[in-house]
Amino acid sequence: MPSTSPATPRRAAILGGNRIPFARQFGPYANASNQDMFTAALEGLVARYGLQGQRLGEVVGGAVIKHSRDFNLTRESVLGSSLDPHTSAYDVQQACGTGLENAILVANKIKLGQIESGVAGGVDTASDAPIMVSEKLRQKMLKINRGKTTVDMAKRALALRPTDFGIETPANVEPRTGLSMGEHQAITTKKWGITREAQDELAAASHQNLAAAYERGFFDDLMTSYLGQSKDQNLRPDSTVEKLAKLKPVFGKGEGATMTAGNSTPLTDGAAVVLLGSEDWAKEHNIPVQAWFVDGEAAAVDYVHGDEGLLMAPAYAVPRLLERNGLSLQDFDFYEIHEAFAGTVLSTLKAWEDEDFCRDRLGLEKPLGSIDRSKLNVNGSSLAAGHPFAATGGRIVASLAKMLHEKGPGSRGLISICAAGGQGVVAILEGA
Amino acid sequence: MTEPTSSSVATRPQETFSSAPSLAKVFVKAAMSGKKSGSTLPATELALTGHAVDREHLLRYQRLCGFPVDDVLPHTYPHILGFPLQAELMGRSSFPLPLAGLVHVENTITVRRTLTDDDVLDIAVHAEDLRDHPKGRQVDLVTEVTVDGEPVWSGRSTYLARGKGNPDAERGTEAPPIPKGVAAAQWRLPGDLGRQYAAVSGDVNPIHLHPLTAKAMGFPKAIAHGMWTYARALSALGRGANGPSTSHVWFKKPVLLPGKVDFVVDRSGEPVVAGLRSTRKPETEHLVLTLETA
Repeated sequence: MPSTSPATPRRAAILGGNRIPFARQFGPYANASNQDMFTAALEGLVARYGLQGQRLGEVVGGAVIKHSRDFNLTRESVLGSSLDPHTSAYDVQQACGTGLENAILVANKIKLGQIESGVAGGVDTASDAPIMVSEKLRQKMLKINRGKTTVDMAKRALALRPTDFGIETPANVEPRTGLSMGEHQAITTKKWGITREAQDELAAASHQNLAAAYERGFFDDLMTSYLGQSKDQNLRPDSTVEKLAKLKPVFGKGEGATMTAGNSTPLTDGAAVVLLGSEDWAKEHNIPVQAWFVDGEAAAVDYVHGDEGLLMAPAYAVPRLLERNGLSLQDFDFYEIHEAFAGTVLSTLKAWEDEDFCRDRLGLEKPLGSIDRSKLNVNGSSLAAGHPFAATGGRIVASLAKMLHEKGPGSRGLISICAAGGQGVVAILEGA
Repeated sequence: MTEPTSSSVATRPQETFSSAPSLAKVFVKAAMSGKKSGSTLPATELALTGHAVDREHLLRYQRLCGFPVDDVLPHTYPHILGFPLQAELMGRSSFPLPLAGLVHVENTITVRRTLTDDDVLDIAVHAEDLRDHPKGRQVDLVTEVTVDGEPVWSGRSTYLARGKGNPDAERGTEAPPIPKGVAAAQWRLPGDLGRQYAAVSGDVNPIHLHPLTAKAMGFPKAIAHGMWTYARALSALGRGANGPSTSHVWFKKPVLLPGKVDFVVDRSGEPVVAGLRSTRKPETEHLVLTLETA
């Protein structure tokens, strides 16, 4: 009487990725929808790996800001691609953790033998955002619509007031606190004493690293141009600490305010996908394995009552992941810490170095310690590339897998992505 | 503006345009012109050279016809770039048939390679094969698109001028039967579809714009542009048509707007056959098309 799955866990391979260049809000993708962009990223992947007409195990995508009509966003994108229409698909939404969570889901199914191949990714548009009517108007209109007769409906329509009319667009604000993400991070940045200079240094490095990566053609097989855009629009190769120092703070108040438009990610449009598969599937399709998806972990913090910073969940997820895999924080060749804000990355790193935090919050005997900063975001990250929320996970997984492949078998990379709602998703990849 | 040069396709005198002629002007001019006659076609080839794709325009076209919004030019897109040249040629006094009375009855398109918005297109249009038809006379307007001298796309639009026909004349290629069975999809076409397509294609023929202008031209309601129905049906067949492929469409009864049509498709053989028929009266066939992909 077999009580376990017939398949024993096996390895999940990352075989490649594709994304469209990220563009600034209301920029070249202003008229492109989430479905347009995700389909374009997916179709680019299909073309690169010759997957036309093939049935994949599944495609998992999602968007943080989504129209209600896009309920089947990922499935619709599959149908608009050259993949076999028999490929199933579904949407996931875990804020900025969406893309990485999707990669964990696909990798897990591959490990369990449930699927042989899959695509994970995400997309977001800050330009083509849904418009909502005021809650009062919505309720009244629903009531009118429920009217059985025209007279009935007309009577109910009399309840409409001029003040009911008005539109709302999704805002980058935490529903439970009313604070924007930047305002939340400003509290954390201040608490950890992260200086303006340190944040600007990280931002300048992000731009310089991303520019250098383009320069040596790193993205040639990770990207397809879209609507005339062939590079991340937000990239400023000539960014320096001096230039960044001139910007005025936008988050936080008064003397101690350190967060500017330069060391915070701008609102962006874009999409990214990653191809995963079993070893056998990769062999059959003659696609070299770039990296192995070793393990993933998610964590959440109680930011609602101010106990912890909104974007600090990865600080909790990483030690759990390390312990499960018998690794220390220093056992990595590359660290990909998503730059929601420069302050987020630096607060997280500082927390791991802090004895009190590691003991009181993480329950560790000694701090996780420092990392070699020369291994951090070596090809740039969200400050330079931009951050279309759900697309960031796919961007990072595909880039890191390629970096690890270049580094060689056994090399290791750590991914850490913070997300709205006090969540964080982290993962370990290993070079193949 | 005009500079006769030799054409790569045949030795025809060529007139080159640096930007597409305005269709509104062409239509007005054609409406004012007198009766046309004759049995010879103008030998001139009209060319639009160095056309850079307007991404904004491409996006509006892709969106309206249901194609993916990306950098690939849809199968039918070069046709609307060449159409102003077609209309200009047919509107001229040297053209033997009246522009206003021409009915687009058939069209073939061959895409030789996938075209993207980076391709700078040279578009040339000429008329050929003026022939008798049982219901009047037919002519083909041939559009050739090249990129750096490489032939990449060609289209042949067949127009019928109703009139005194020749009962012994050949009817041309017969359309395959429209696929039978249940509709693969049903499309509700809005009343302003003709205006929407006119805004993108520039084809402001009054029969498409409004019930009143259509009535003035003898139609009960505004009718959908044939090229829209053709493009919409191709987009429903998937991405294959935007790569190397050949399509052939036969336009039958016009689609009245607003309206509801059934999309039917038979993919069991080569080529794929698709059609549009009226949802309310399935015996009314609007178009049949075949598509061969490489």
